Amino acid sequence: MKLGTVALKYAARSLTRHTRRTVISMAGVGVGCAMALIALSWMSGAFEMQIRAIAESGAGHLMVVHRDWEKTRENTLRLTDWQETLEAVRAHPGIRACSARARANGLLAFGNRSAGAQIMAVLPEDEFEVSRIISRSRMEGHYLEDEEIGAVVIGKALARRLNVELDDDLYASLTGKDDIHSAMLRIAGIIDTGSQDLDLTICHVTVATMESIIGAAGAGEISILLKEQSELASVQKSLGALMTGDNTVVSWREVQPALSAGMDGDVALMRLLTAIVITVVALGIASAQLTAVLERRTEFAVLSALGMKGSQITGMVLIESLIIGIGGALIALTLGGLAAWYLATEGINLAYFVEDFTGPSDILLDPYIYGSFGPWLIKYALSISIIATVVASLYPAWKASHIAPAEALRTQ
Amino acid sequence: MAAVLTDETLVHAKQVTKVYHTGEVDTYALRGIDLEVKAGDFLAIVGPSGSGKTTLLNLIGALDNITDGTLEVLGSDVSRMSRRQRADLRLHALGFIFQAYNLFPVLTAQENVQFVLELQGVNNERGRRAREVLDRLGLGEYANRRPPQMSGGQQQRVAVARAVASKPRLVLADEPTANLDGENAGILLDMMRDLNENQHTTFIFSTHDPRVVAYARRVVTLVDGQVAKDIVKESDAHDAG
Repeated sequence: MKLGTVALKYAARSLTRHTRRTVISMAGVGVGCAMALIALSWMSGAFEMQIRAIAESGAGHLMVVHRDWEKTRENTLRLTDWQETLEAVRAHPGIRACSARARANGLLAFGNRSAGAQIMAVLPEDEFEVSRIISRSRMEGHYLEDEEIGAVVIGKALARRLNVELDDDLYASLTGKDDIHSAMLRIAGIIDTGSQDLDLTICHVTVATMESIIGAAGAGEISILLKEQSELASVQKSLGALMTGDNTVVSWREVQPALSAGMDGDVALMRLLTAIVITVVALGIASAQLTAVLERRTEFAVLSALGMKGSQITGMVLIESLIIGIGGALIALTLGGLAAWYLATEGINLAYFVEDFTGPSDILLDPYIYGSFGPWLIKYALSISIIATVVASLYPAWKASHIAPAEALRTQ
Repeated sequence: MAAVLTDETLVHAKQVTKVYHTGEVDTYALRGIDLEVKAGDFLAIVGPSGSGKTTLLNLIGALDNITDGTLEVLGSDVSRMSRRQRADLRLHALGFIFQAYNLFPVLTAQENVQFVLELQGVNNERGRRAREVLDRLGLGEYANRRPPQMSGGQQQRVAVARAVASKPRLVLADEPTANLDGENAGILLDMMRDLNENQHTTFIFSTHDPRVVAYARRVVTLVDGQVAKDIVKESDAHDAG
C-alpha cells in the first residue's frame, strides 16, 4: 500500500469538509484520552504512595527475614548473623534506610488492667529513619534512645486501655523461644498516630531491653527502604546474593500479600474503567467515521474506478483517522496534562473525605494523594488516542475499500 | 479527420447478460449482448432509460460482474479477474467520465488530474504532465481552483483531463453532457473528438443527448437490454475501411 502526496492531501483535506464533525471527533478522542490520562496519573501516583506508605509503616520496600517466615509468620524466628547482615544491607548503594527488629508476643499489665501486645524491639535511631509511625506521629515524652534499657513506648490507645501515663511502670510478660520472661518497663513515650487501631498495636522497646529480658534476642527482620521504588527488583536480587544462612530477602508484596492483592485489584479496576472509557470513545469514532464513509460512497466508488486499490483506500481512511488521533492526543495532553500537573503539584487532600488515615494492616497513609506527571503522558496520550482512533476506524476503512463501485455510482 | 480504426479489438462481448437480484426479484439489465469495439472507435450507446446503457459501460469498465456470457477487455476476460487485477486494468488502460463529474472537491483541478498519475506511480513528472493536459484542454487558468469554484462545464472538462491524463486506451463516458448547456457540451465533444483523432483514444459514451449522437461515428441502440441497432455512419465506415 503506497500513498503519494496527493492521496495524503486528499486524506487531510477531507477532514476539512465537515470541520465541526472533525473537531467534535478530535474533542471526543481528546476528552476520553484525557480522562484516561487523569486516571492513570491518579492510579500511578496513588499506587506509588501506597507502596511508600506500606514500606514506611514497617514492611519496608524489602525485608530480610528467616526463610521459614513467609510460610509460618512465626515471630520467634531469628536471622543468621543479623548484625553483619544489617551492615551489609546498610552498605548497599540502593538503600535509603534500614532497621533491624525483633518481635515477641506478650502481655502488658498495670494495676488491674492488662492488654495483649506484640512487643517490638528496635534500634531507635534506625527505626526513626524507616518508620513514619514514629517520625510522623505526635509524641508525649520521648522516643527510645539507643541502648536505653527498661523503657517502653506505647500507643495512645493502648495507654488509655491500660489507664497509664508517662513514667508509669508496666508489668510486661514476654514469650521467649522456650519460656516466658517478665520485667517492669517504664513508659518513656506515648505515641499518637491519629488512629486508635494503629495506636493499640504500638509497643516498642530497644533491642538491648529485649535482650535483657529474654536473653540473646537477636533480630527477626531487617526492614529496608529504597532510594528508588522502581529499583525494587534489582536491589532485591543483589541483596539476595549477599544473604547467608537462613536469611532471605522478600518484598513488601510478600510481607503484605493481602494489601498487594487489594492494590492489584484496584489497579485492575481502574484499568478496566479506563478501557471502558476508551472503548466508548472508540465506538463514537467508529460511528462518526462510518457515517463519513457512507456519505462519501460515491467518492470511494470513483477512487476505485480510477484504479485505486482496496488497500490504498483503507490506508487513506486510516490516515484521516490518524490525523484525528493526533489532534485528539494534543487535546488530551492539554486537558489531561494540566489535570495531571495539578494532581502532581497540589495533590488531593484526603482529609475532605476521610478522618482516619490508617489503612488496612496498620498502614499509616498520607493525607494527600499526589498524581504522577512526566514525559510518559506524551507517550500515553499519543498511543491511546492514535491506537483507539485507528482501531475504531478499521471497520469503516474496510467498508470504504469494499464499496461496490457500480452500485454506488448508480445510486449517487 | 476521423481516427483510423485498427483491427485491434478493445472490447469483445459475447452473449453478455447481467441480472440484478433484489430479494427474490431478478431484473434483467442486459440480455445476451454481442458487441465488438475496435481501437480508435468513437461510439455512442443510446437507448431509453433502463435499456442497460450504464450497466454495459460498468461491465466494460470492470466496475461490475457479468452474470453470463463472456466479456474481454483489452484481451483479458474480466469475469476471471480478481479485484486487484480489475483495479490495475482500470488504472492503466481505462478512463472514466461521469455524468455528475465526480471530481474530488477537496483537491484542485491540477491535483485531481495528478491523482491518477500518482496512482500509476508516475513520480517526478506528474505535476508537469497534469499541467500539460490541462493546458492542452484549455484549462490552465483553472489549475489551482477546486471544483466548487468552477462551473459545470469547466468541471466536466477537468474530468476529461483526469480521464485522459494517464493516456488510457479506452475512455468510458456515462452521459457526459447530461448536465451541460449547449455551448459547454459542444466544447466538451470537440475536445473528446480531438483526443480521439489526434491521440487515437477510443471513446464509448452512453447518452440520451442527440448532440453526442451527432458526434459519434458509431451508434449502438439498446432496447430492453438487447442491441436493437448498431450503425456505423457512412463517412466513418469509409475511414474504417
